Amino acid sequence: MIGRTVLRVVGPLVPSVVVVVAAWWLALEAFGISPLVGKRPPQVWEYLAASQEHRDAVFGALGITVRDAAIGFASGMIAASVVAVAFVLFRTVEQTFMPVAMLLRSVPLVVMTPLITLVFGRDLVGVAVIGGIVVFFPALVNIAFGLRSASPQATDLILAYGGTRLTVLRKVAVPTAMPAVFASARISVPASIIGALIAEWLATGEGIGAEILRAIGGFRYDEVWADIVVVTGVSVLAYAVVGVVESLVLARFSDRREA
Amino acid sequence: MATLDRRAFFRTTGLAGLALGLAACGDGGTTASPTSGDGGGFGSIKLQLSWKKNVEFAGEYFADTNGYFKQAGFSQVELLSGGGSGTSVESGLATGRCWAGISAPTITAPAVLQGAPLKIVGATFQKNPFAIISLNDRKPIKEAGDLAGKKIGVQDSNELVWNALLKANGIDEGSVTRVPFQSDPSMLTSGQIDGYVGFVTSGPVNLRLQGHDPAYLLLADAGLPLVAETFTVTQETIDNERDKLKAFLTAEIKGWKDAVADPAKSAELAATVYGKDQNLDVKEQTEEAKMQNELIITPDSKANGLFAMTPELIEQNIASLAKAGVTITGEQLFDLSILDEVYQADPSLKLA
Repeated sequence: MIGRTVLRVVGPLVPSVVVVVAAWWLALEAFGISPLVGKRPPQVWEYLAASQEHRDAVFGALGITVRDAAIGFASGMIAASVVAVAFVLFRTVEQTFMPVAMLLRSVPLVVMTPLITLVFGRDLVGVAVIGGIVVFFPALVNIAFGLRSASPQATDLILAYGGTRLTVLRKVAVPTAMPAVFASARISVPASIIGALIAEWLATGEGIGAEILRAIGGFRYDEVWADIVVVTGVSVLAYAVVGVVESLVLARFSDRREA
Repeated sequence: MATLDRRAFFRTTGLAGLALGLAACGDGGTTASPTSGDGGGFGSIKLQLSWKKNVEFAGEYFADTNGYFKQAGFSQVELLSGGGSGTSVESGLATGRCWAGISAPTITAPAVLQGAPLKIVGATFQKNPFAIISLNDRKPIKEAGDLAGKKIGVQDSNELVWNALLKANGIDEGSVTRVPFQSDPSMLTSGQIDGYVGFVTSGPVNLRLQGHDPAYLLLADAGLPLVAETFTVTQETIDNERDKLKAFLTAEIKGWKDAVADPAKSAELAATVYGKDQNLDVKEQTEEAKMQNELIITPDSKANGLFAMTPELIEQNIASLAKAGVTITGEQLFDLSILDEVYQADPSLKLA
């Protein structure tokens, strides 16, 4: 079951990787970008294969970025879930809180980051806030919508049998919202990586988000492209992992059984 | 390609948006061919500046305003603003987005070592303008030893300068906290950092005008003599467009002679014409212009002309770069022969 699901989700990635690599190569050739700046796939491969030092530089930074993205992803998703539940339980909360949530979303993060670092510092708390903000708003809207989509008949049934609104939430709304939760999780994977990169660029100064700019400053474009490749690879991989988990969870939670 | 098998191809994995984004960024200037001259002149060229348009480029403003570029045969010299996360001079030259650039040995040397065929053909700032800027009433940094335990803001493009400073003074990288820094001195005044790497010509002036009491440690005094605001061009330009390059340098010399002679006018041009959108303060820019004159006019540049570099100065720069772990020779990085020819042809260009 798990093996088949993994294959079904990951399988289509292989041709897409080929397409992306081809597009990368062709775009550089078509626009005539000098190989000094626009590194081609073989140059990136050679760079990574050439020495352990190169691999340490790239994958060390990647590890930090993955950690930062995971922190942002988790904090954003948890906050969005909690607030979405509050929205569904208490109508007035939504009316008060939604403009604040939108404010967080409509001010460019790059502008807000200096303020965030001033308030929350430049360590993991700052990373959690910056990454969380990127993830939070789309996840909130999605999950709140999912929770509201609970079947009225099922809700009525529980209320008629003396269940409270909390029981409705637990027995009906949460299972109904699962597809929405996973849809937000999928959106949030690349978003959390962007959040992590911004946090690293402007706040922490470590990880891919910082190293990539230092590499540009030092004219180490092979490192720049290697960074881009690995961070994209991780992003695609994480997206696929969410897809696998989604299939498995939905098979258990919803009545839409896998064939 | 022969060494790349299918599996390797897959393992190298893809990148979509970023790759295309980068490629798209790069194509902006490739279609323009600034190397071809129209008519009898040299046509229009693009000059990539090392920073935002402030008084640091006063000589360029004068050369443009007073028509020296036109006299030299250029229909237009477009000054491209730099700084922040903008395109570096070196990548601009490598991709043909600009014809010449104003950069620094610490940025050009790594590019040369990576195979970019570039040379420095002149240096506006004879002395290293980089300094660690801090505040006297907080945690002043007056010598390299003071750095231990401090939080220092370092721009990504100053990576090498920073590493060189640490290495030249035997300071362990782990003993100083490096904080990402763009160009916002308020991080210093708000206490988020104890100091930052910046030009001594701008930061301290700015801070003083805001009522602070800045301290600074010149990197030149911390064992790192380096030139800055250097003219960088491709080897191809030196080989095939020598006359055009000489004409350009002649106009630059004339522009900078005017600039050093008149700091107030320099500041005015920066604040009201070329850097109008930067909200520059004329008074502050005037102070900066006066301060940078001390870096531009030295006994050597008085004797040999602006931008000139003595063999000793070249040696000092090579030694400073070596401290940063950049091993390069003077011949690989510098070619002052074009400038020499300019001054030989017209000795009156030298400072009176």
